[in-house]
Amino acid sequence: MATSTRRVVIGRLAGPRVRLFAHEARLGYLLLIPALLLLLVFVAYPFLFGIWLSVSSAQIGENGHFIGLGNFQFERTDSVFIESFLNTLSYTAVTTVFKLVLGLVMALLLNQVFPAQRFVRAALLLPWIIPSVLSTLAWRWMFDPTFSVVNWVIIHSHLSANGVDWLGKTATALTSLMIVNVWRGTPFYGIAFLAGLQTIPVDLYEAARVDGASRWQQFRRITVPLLRPVLLVVLLLSTILTFGDFTLPYVLTNGAPYNSTHVLSTWAFAIGVGGGYIGVGAAISLVLFPLLSAIVAGVMVILRRPE
Amino acid sequence: MGERGVSRRDFLRTSSLAAAGLAAGPLLAACGGSAGSSGAPATAGAIPKPRPGAQIRLLQWVSFVPAADDEIRRQAKEFSDANNVQVTIETVTGDQLQPKTAAAVEAGSGPDIIQMQYGWPHLYDTACTDVSDLVDMLKTKLGTVNQVNDAFCKVNGKYLAVPYCQVPNAWSYRTDLWQQAGLSGFFTTWDELASDGKQLKSKGLPPIAVSLGHAYGDAITMWYPVLWDFGGREVSPDGKHVTINSKETMDAVNWAISTWKSGAISQNTLSWLDPDNNQAYHSGLITATLNGASIYIKETYTTATNHKFAPVTDNAAQPKGRQGASTLNLIFNHALMKWSNEAETAKAFILYLMDPTNYQKWLNASVGYNAGPFKALSNADIFQKDTKLKPYLDVVGAGKWPGWPAQPSKATAQSQVQFVIVDMFAKAVTSGDAKAAIADAEQKLKRIYELPA
Repeated sequence: MATSTRRVVIGRLAGPRVRLFAHEARLGYLLLIPALLLLLVFVAYPFLFGIWLSVSSAQIGENGHFIGLGNFQFERTDSVFIESFLNTLSYTAVTTVFKLVLGLVMALLLNQVFPAQRFVRAALLLPWIIPSVLSTLAWRWMFDPTFSVVNWVIIHSHLSANGVDWLGKTATALTSLMIVNVWRGTPFYGIAFLAGLQTIPVDLYEAARVDGASRWQQFRRITVPLLRPVLLVVLLLSTILTFGDFTLPYVLTNGAPYNSTHVLSTWAFAIGVGGGYIGVGAAISLVLFPLLSAIVAGVMVILRRPE
Repeated sequence: MGERGVSRRDFLRTSSLAAAGLAAGPLLAACGGSAGSSGAPATAGAIPKPRPGAQIRLLQWVSFVPAADDEIRRQAKEFSDANNVQVTIETVTGDQLQPKTAAAVEAGSGPDIIQMQYGWPHLYDTACTDVSDLVDMLKTKLGTVNQVNDAFCKVNGKYLAVPYCQVPNAWSYRTDLWQQAGLSGFFTTWDELASDGKQLKSKGLPPIAVSLGHAYGDAITMWYPVLWDFGGREVSPDGKHVTINSKETMDAVNWAISTWKSGAISQNTLSWLDPDNNQAYHSGLITATLNGASIYIKETYTTATNHKFAPVTDNAAQPKGRQGASTLNLIFNHALMKWSNEAETAKAFILYLMDPTNYQKWLNASVGYNAGPFKALSNADIFQKDTKLKPYLDVVGAGKWPGWPAQPSKATAQSQVQFVIVDMFAKAVTSGDAKAAIADAEQKLKRIYELPA
């Protein structure tokens, strides 16, 4: 009797559950809702709000009204904006190339067996783990015209009598930004490539060696093709992150000297937050959106293309 | 206290109803709090009373003089205990204060009181409560408001912030190096700065150094006065016409170029931020620099071990140019934000801070780093005890604001945050082309004053 009652109770409880999970499509949408809500709240809403701001006369604390492409047209003729745009492009292009090459070299070296391998792998990640503000402040001291340890080395090595005014001249200040970005970003490339390298079957290299392939041929014919998906994804992520990099340029130079080292993010911040013209600031930061979209689309096409 | 201000006793004795409001904090404290008050806004001239159980937050920067922050926290606790409320003082670094403020204004929520620097009440006017009643009350008892605090606080005829203080900027210098260079007194004109700097250089002594980078304090406090003292103006008094391209500006820029090229001022300062000249001075790498009193305070008053230049550090007021002497000081005012649900408590706390006794304690704790905005608060015991601090008091009266002679506005704030004037000088000294630097500044200023409304 007791067993029969339990069956009835279980049956009652199990009934609706079975029906709910019986339709896979409905269940799929149901399970998708939390992720969708998160995306809507934290990605779609800020993005759409940013677009609205960029086409409005909004100021901090004031909603403003629709002005079409007025903010974009206004910034088009701003010399600092143009310089910031070019700085952003060169900053991203140069650092991405260096990070790619150095990251690959780092991964190939870390993929070898050597003493204290795990410790070295962990240590090389430090630049990427340390908060950017802290590490950039440390670099600021290293580049400081008065206290620079880099200059100390240069002067005491007799490479230059007075050292280099790292942050005081446009070219050297931009170079300094790039050096710090490469220093910070290379470990990300290195570790991601290392993960990719470790998924390549060793048999392939052994077979290639049996066939008489040189190290370079193994690298070109096995490593690069099999690493391509990881490489493209890392490249994509890094490009997007570097385009939008704010902390590093803000802390290291904040646009100095004379607004010549601004990138779009820091210039947008100066106008939008410092000056209160949030609509113009949003327009500045959205300028690269079409270009970034094209890059993302290009990478996605390449990734889906069969070998 | 004589001419230096009014004592607490005098203050209370001569109080009218408004004065009772001013002293509401201490009086309430003595009475053990005031029950029955509400969070509803007060009518003009009414005495704000803290609501028991209220919780308010004040957001401000981290002072370069930690003792000043300790004192304001102590006063917050004193006020809280006496009135059964909770006042929290939140501090962020100077460069983080504006982003935090902007975020709060955009979100329409945040701290009840925000320390507004420079012309922020003009930038965030839609979010600041009209506190004209409070300021009028304070003016009745504490006298006139300093012109810079007044200009920053008053937006379209209404006070959107309560004047709080100034951070005066004067020169700190090494008397021993000055003597070694064979110089008698500290320079009193910009031309003397140029000749004294050359003299220091010829003797192989550390240079005079001022920021030409994007230091939000030190760079603008140096280069705006240079422009003004030579007669240059960024914009017309009505704020509508850019007037930077003038003979006077050319004179100022040419002075900067020749001073720079001769090595009279350090050439390593194009990237300097606010802490850099402090560090350079304490490390013995420069002879003189323009700064708040923090350099002198660190050398003389703090308990840190690095006091090697205390006996040989002195201060001097701003030099004169061909058209007078001016200073640009960092200005703080307190805005009561519109979203505050505890406006009465917040107002009462602001009054409590401005009570002469409390304010005097805070000024003394900040050992000359701050100066008062009202006539009765314009002095402090510390300035009498330590005469070396007097230059910091002397520069207060000559204070102006970015964009002067135009009234502070969103456009003047925009010009300031884009460092247009500082960059004009920086470009000129590095290129040697005064005309091009001024033309560049003119183009940028025209854009700023033509930004979409």
